Amino acid sequence: MNQLTHLNAQGEARMVDVSDKKITQRTATACASVTMQANTLNMIVEGGHPKGDVLATARIAGIMAAKRTPELIPLCHPLMLSKVEVELQPDAQLPGIRIHATCKLAGQTGVEMEALTAASVAALTVYDMCKAVDKRMVIGNTYVEEKTGGKSGDWTYASLKSDTQQQAGLQINFFAELREQLGVDNLSLELDDFSGSTLGDLLTHLKSQKQQWHNHLSSPNLLMAVNQQMAKPSQTLKEGDEVAFFPPVTGG
Amino acid sequence: MNQRFIRVQRESFDTGKEVQLLADQRTDIGAVVSFTGYVRDFNEKPEVTALTLEHYPGMTEQALEQIALEAEKRWELKGLRILHRIGRMEPGDPIVLVVTASAHRQDAFDACNFIMDFLKTRAPFWKKEHTTSGDYWVSSRTSDAQAAARWENN
Repeated sequence: MNQLTHLNAQGEARMVDVSDKKITQRTATACASVTMQANTLNMIVEGGHPKGDVLATARIAGIMAAKRTPELIPLCHPLMLSKVEVELQPDAQLPGIRIHATCKLAGQTGVEMEALTAASVAALTVYDMCKAVDKRMVIGNTYVEEKTGGKSGDWTYASLKSDTQQQAGLQINFFAELREQLGVDNLSLELDDFSGSTLGDLLTHLKSQKQQWHNHLSSPNLLMAVNQQMAKPSQTLKEGDEVAFFPPVTGG
Repeated sequence: MNQRFIRVQRESFDTGKEVQLLADQRTDIGAVVSFTGYVRDFNEKPEVTALTLEHYPGMTEQALEQIALEAEKRWELKGLRILHRIGRMEPGDPIVLVVTASAHRQDAFDACNFIMDFLKTRAPFWKKEHTTSGDYWVSSRTSDAQAAARWENN
């Protein structure tokens, strides 16, 4: 079990002594999203917003917030950030704005609190600038996506499994255009939820859920992976497998 | 000594610096080949204003490792670096970098070519292009599949 480092032996709050920790190059990326009405998003994208350029303002707000993190979070060390980058992407599927904030430094402690603060304040700024035209905005999905450097090493949100995922039968992920077509990022299923035990049987089950799913999952180009390795429909699935379906890749 | 460095990142990179990182302090390297891919302002549709790259975290790194291993089996490499960006980019921004180093040029040239061909067909990255006439997901090209297939019998 991991210990809470911000508590001393008596259970009192303390600032962790990092004097003896090695100086390493560290980065952290956090994300957040602001879900809004499609009309509000259009206003932002087309620049017709009464308060001006929402994205540029939120980007600056995020950067400034990262520098203020130790003043807001009681046990957080003041850090000499070497870089703060805040990216705001309009996403018509949400609909809303997706925010990614990356902080970087060479130091003795991690920068995830700075990245989270930057993403959160950028989201708050989007909210502030749009609240006059949309009162149903929702700020959410705030988490650390990726961290590099330091004792815990490099990790991404997706690479860490939660306790419930470890118990769940199958974790199924969808990517890119297929994710948008199905309208879902991921879902969990038990092996008993469908008949058969292969990847092909799982696909048949997913296709039977909705007509629309049947159409999108029937593409001859559909690619599949089990535990992050390309797989064929004949592969047998077992407890705890991570399955993914996605369209042909287009990187490079 | 063989140095392998693979990274998926949001940030931009500098090809010159990356080449230097690989070749610096080395006297056993006779050739370095680098390939840099950039965002174009036209593709399936004209007037591409930006591009968003999505990937499958975890699997991407593993797929790139496997491609690198395969290249190291086929050619005598002294080192290689693969960098691939994700997130939002604009025309003119670099997306991908492959640097290969070897004692003689042919190994570095062929390995770099091979890595790009397989990266384009095996690594789970997807591009969405934003154009003045709307957003769309880039479709895969048969020419990329053919380029990768030519290595099968070699």
